Amino acid sequence: MGLLRYTVYRFIQAIPVLIGISILTFVLANLTPGDPVRLMLQGVEADQEMIEQVEARYGLDRPMHERYLDYMAGLVQGDMGHSFHRNRPVSELIASRIGPTLLLVLSAYAFALVTSIPLGILAAKRRNEPFDHVSRIVALLGVSTPSFWIGIMLILIFAVQLGWLPSADLVYPWWSPEAYGHDGYVEHLVETIRHLLLPMIALGTLQMATLMRVERTQMIESLQGEYVKLARAYGVPERTIMRKHAFQVAQLPIITIVGLNLSTALGGAVLIEFVFNINGLGRLFYDAIVQLDYQLIMGITMIIATMFVIGVIITDIAYAYIDPRVTYGEAE
Amino acid sequence: MAVGESQVGSGSEPETKELQAGWRNTLRKVMQDTTARWGLYVITFVLAITAYTLVDGNLSRLTFGNVSDFAMAETLPIFEHPERLPPPGEAETNVPPAFHPDGTLEHPLGTDPNGRDYFTRIVYGAQVSVSVGLAATFLGLVGGTIIGSVAGYYGGWVDDVLMRAIETVYAIPPLILIIVFTVFVSGGSPDVQFAIVGVGIAFIPVFARIIRSEVLSVREMDYIEAARAAGVKDRNIILYHVIPNSFAPVLVYATLQIGVTILIVAGLSFLGFGAQPPTPDWGEMLQTSHGYMHSNVWLSIWPGVAIMITIMGFNLFGDGLQDALDPRIND
Amino acid sequence: MSSEPLLRVENLKTQFFTDAGTVRAVDGISFEVHEGEIVGLVGESGAGKSVASMSLLRLVENPGEIVGGEITYRGETIFGLEEGPDGELREREDMLSNEEVRTRIRGNEIAVIFQDPMESLNPVFTVGGQLREFIELNRDLSSGEAREEAVDMLREVGIPDPEERYDEYPHQFSGGMRQRVLIAMALACEPNLIIADEPTTALDVTVEGQIIDLVDDLQEKYGTSFVWVTHDMGVVAEICDRVNVMYLGEIVEQAPVDELFYDTKHPYTEALLDSIPRPDRTVGELDPIEGVMPEAISPPSGCRFHPRCPDAREVCQRVHPETKPVAVADGEPHRAACVKHDAFDVGYDESVPLEKEPQTSSESETDAAVSPEPAETNGGGESE
Repeated sequence: MGLLRYTVYRFIQAIPVLIGISILTFVLANLTPGDPVRLMLQGVEADQEMIEQVEARYGLDRPMHERYLDYMAGLVQGDMGHSFHRNRPVSELIASRIGPTLLLVLSAYAFALVTSIPLGILAAKRRNEPFDHVSRIVALLGVSTPSFWIGIMLILIFAVQLGWLPSADLVYPWWSPEAYGHDGYVEHLVETIRHLLLPMIALGTLQMATLMRVERTQMIESLQGEYVKLARAYGVPERTIMRKHAFQVAQLPIITIVGLNLSTALGGAVLIEFVFNINGLGRLFYDAIVQLDYQLIMGITMIIATMFVIGVIITDIAYAYIDPRVTYGEAE
Repeated sequence: MAVGESQVGSGSEPETKELQAGWRNTLRKVMQDTTARWGLYVITFVLAITAYTLVDGNLSRLTFGNVSDFAMAETLPIFEHPERLPPPGEAETNVPPAFHPDGTLEHPLGTDPNGRDYFTRIVYGAQVSVSVGLAATFLGLVGGTIIGSVAGYYGGWVDDVLMRAIETVYAIPPLILIIVFTVFVSGGSPDVQFAIVGVGIAFIPVFARIIRSEVLSVREMDYIEAARAAGVKDRNIILYHVIPNSFAPVLVYATLQIGVTILIVAGLSFLGFGAQPPTPDWGEMLQTSHGYMHSNVWLSIWPGVAIMITIMGFNLFGDGLQDALDPRIND
Repeated sequence: MSSEPLLRVENLKTQFFTDAGTVRAVDGISFEVHEGEIVGLVGESGAGKSVASMSLLRLVENPGEIVGGEITYRGETIFGLEEGPDGELREREDMLSNEEVRTRIRGNEIAVIFQDPMESLNPVFTVGGQLREFIELNRDLSSGEAREEAVDMLREVGIPDPEERYDEYPHQFSGGMRQRVLIAMALACEPNLIIADEPTTALDVTVEGQIIDLVDDLQEKYGTSFVWVTHDMGVVAEICDRVNVMYLGEIVEQAPVDELFYDTKHPYTEALLDSIPRPDRTVGELDPIEGVMPEAISPPSGCRFHPRCPDAREVCQRVHPETKPVAVADGEPHRAACVKHDAFDVGYDESVPLEKEPQTSSESETDAAVSPEPAETNGGGESE
C-alpha cells in the first residue's frame, strides 16, 4: 500500500487507542473516594446550594457511563468541558497554552538531536579513546540527573550568579516584537532564544544523553557490518564510509526512539514549565491538578496523550518511508 | 540469551541446574566488568544507607505513614532528627555548609529553612527514593510479567486485548498518568503509598512489552513444544519454562528502570505529589530549595547530587549487566 | 605456467593480539597465483583461510596485524618488512602505502566476493547504486557510464530485467541473486584477481551449482584469476586448478587439483576426503576426523596435526614440518608438510606410533567432518 494509505491506516488504528485513553482518563478522574464535588470545591466557600449547582452542572449526580458518553459526545464536537476554577471552556484554555509547550518541546528536541548525533558518531569513531570515555560519562550523567534539577542548577549559575540569561518565562516568537518592547525582529529573535536556552537544555539533556548512547552503539554496530568491510575492500575512502555507508543504516532506530521519547519529553515539560514559570500546557496541568479541576485535567491529559500518539505515528511513518526494507503492509 | 535446551519433563530440576549454571556464569562476567562493579559499589552504598535509615527510624517507617515521633535521633551522633523541627527560637536556619566561612562542622551541609540539619535530611532522603524505586519497579515487573507472558503465550484475541490495554496506558506520559492517579486515588492528599502503586502501574506496559516479545520467541522453541506434548499444564509451562528463559534481558531493563523510577519519583515529590513533609525526600527538598534560590543556593545542590549518584549507581550496574549479557557490543 | 606469478605470498604471518593471548591465525603460508587460474584455499573453520585472504588486501583490522612475510602482486609489494637500523622490523620502502593500496589495488586490481550476500550489501542503498559506486571508484568512468556498466554486468551475471532491478534493494533479491550481484561487483571492476571468500557457503546446493557454473563461464571469458576460499572439498574438485590445504594457520598440502584428490600426500587432506559422505557408497558408519582443531593461540608442538593424525608417530611431536615438495606432477611440485615422506629425513620409519588420546573439547562436536552438504548458514567460516 502506498504511503498515504499507510498514514491513513495508522491514524484509523489509533482511534481505539484514543478512545481507550479517554476511558482511562475518565476512570482515573472518577476514582476519588469520597465526594468529588467537595474536593473540587476545596478552598472555595460553598454552601449546599452551590454544591448542588455544581453537581448539576457537571452532571455528577448521574451514573458514570452516562457522564462518559456525554463527555465523548461533546468531545467529538470540540467541546472539552468547562474549567470550574477558571470559568472558561477547557478547549480555549488548552489552545492558549499549547504554543509555549510546543516551542519548548521542539526546541529541546532540536538541541538533543543537534548535539547527540555528531557526538555519538565521534564517540563511535574514536572508540575506547579518551574522547569516547568522556562522552560516555557525560551521557551517563545526563540520563541519571533529574531534568528539573538541571534547570534549577542552570538558573542558579547562569541567571542568579552570572546574570547572563533570564530565569523565567518565554518570549513567544509568534507575538509581535512590540508586545515585548523589542526593537525589531532581530532583538525579538535574540530574546526568544535567550529565554529558551536554559529550559531547552534542561529538558533536552535527558534526550541528548539517551540518543548519544544509542547513536554510538548504532554506529559501532554499523561499522562492524559486512557491507562496510565490502566497501573498504573495494577502496571506498574512510570518510565516505563513515558519512554514507555506516551512517545511514545506523540512523534508523534513532527515528523510532525519538518518537517514543516524546512521552518522557511531555512529562518533563510539566516539570520544566514549573521550574521556569512557563505558561504552557504543563503548567496548566499542574495548576489544574492542584485545584482538582476535573474537566480541565481530563482535557489536558487527553490532549497530551493524543500528542504523543500522533508523534509516534509520524515517526513510524517517517521510518517506514526511509527504511527500504519496510513495506507499508506491516502494522508495526 | 536463552539458556540452552532443557529436557522435557514435568518438573523443573534439569532446567534449574542449567539455569543456575547460566546465572553463575553471568554473575562472574558481570563482576569482571568495571562499569558493573562500580555500579554495584554505589548501589550497595546507597542501599546500606537506606537500610540503616529504615531500621534506625523504627520499623513503622516501612508503612510510610506519618510518624510524628520516633526513637532514632541519637543512635549515630552524626545524625540529627530529620523531621522534628527545632524548638522555636533555637532554630539556626539556612546555615551554609561546613566549607563556607559561615558554616560549622556541626552541620556539615548546613541547615534547611526550618533549621533542621541538612546532612541528616539528605541521608534520610534516600528512604523514599530508593524504596519507592525498588518497590514500584518490582510491581511493574510482576504486573508486566504476568500480562506480557499471558499475552505472548496465548496469542490470539487475548493478546490483542491485552496489548491494546497496554498501549492505552503507555500513551499517557508516565509522570502525568502517575500524578493523575496519585492525586485522585488519594482523594486529593497524595502520599508515598499511592505513588508506589501509581508508578508501578505506569511501568507495567514497558515490562509487559519486553516479556511478551521474549515469550513470543521462546514459545516457538522445541522444548516448549515438547513440554506441551508431554502434557505439562500451561500454567507450569509459563512459570517454569517460558519465564525463566525470557528473563535475562528483562533483568537488565529492570535495573535501568529503577533509575527511571527514581527520576520520576523525584519529579513527583518535587511537584508535591509524592512524599509529604516532614518526611525527608530529595525531590521535596528541591521544591523547598526552589523557593530559596536567591537566598540559599546550597539547598538546591545536595539533593540533586544525591539523586544523581543513586541513579548513576543503578545505571552503571545496568549497563555493565547489559554488556555482560550481550556479547556483541563488547568494548 | 612458469611465467611470473600474478600474486606471490611468501611466509605470510598474521596475528591477533587479544586479552586472551596472541592468536597466530596465519603462521607462515606461501603460495602463488598465476594468471587465469583458480587457486583453492581449503580448510576447516578457524584454519585461518579468511584471515589469509583478507591479509592479501591488507584488510586486517584491530586487534589483528600482519606481522611478517611478503605479499607481491605483479611485482609490486603489497606487504613486506625489513630489518631497520635498530634491529626492529619496519615496513619496506617499496611497500605500498595505505592510500596506494586503497586506490590502486583494492577493487581495480584485486576484488573480493564475501560469503554472506545478505550482510554484504548495504540494506538502505539500491543494488544498482552500490554497484555503480564501486565501478565509478575503480574504473575511470563517469557516473552515467558507470551506471551503464552496472546494468550490463547485472545482465552478464544472469539477473533478469537488469534495468528494473538496478533500482531495487538487496532485500528484494534472493540469496542466489545477491551473490550474483557480488560477483558482478567483483567482475565489473575488471580486476586481475578475485578473492572469493566462501561465496557459496550460505547458499543451498542447487543455487551453489548455478553460481559455480557462472563463475566458470565468466572466468573463461575474462581470464580472471581467483583465490577461492572454502571448506567444501566438493567445490574444490569442481572449480579449482590448484589447491592449498590449510590447517591451523599453515598450509599442509599444496598441489594441482587432480593430484590432490588422487595422490593425497598429507594425512589431514586424506582424512578430509575420507570424511565426506559419498552418495555412491554405502558405509556402515561415517569416518570423521577425530577431535577438534585446536585454537590458534597455543598450537600443538611439532606437527600441528599430530594429536588427530592416524599416522602420527613420536617424531611428529617434536619436529615441525615445513611444506616441502614431495612429488612432481606435470612439472608442478606437489608439496606437503608431513614427515612420513622421504623428503623429510627425520627418522619417521623408526619412530614409535603415538597412542591416540581421545580429544576432549567441551563445546564443539567431535565430528569435525567436512562435508559437501552446505551446513546451516551459520556453520562455515565465521569464526575466522
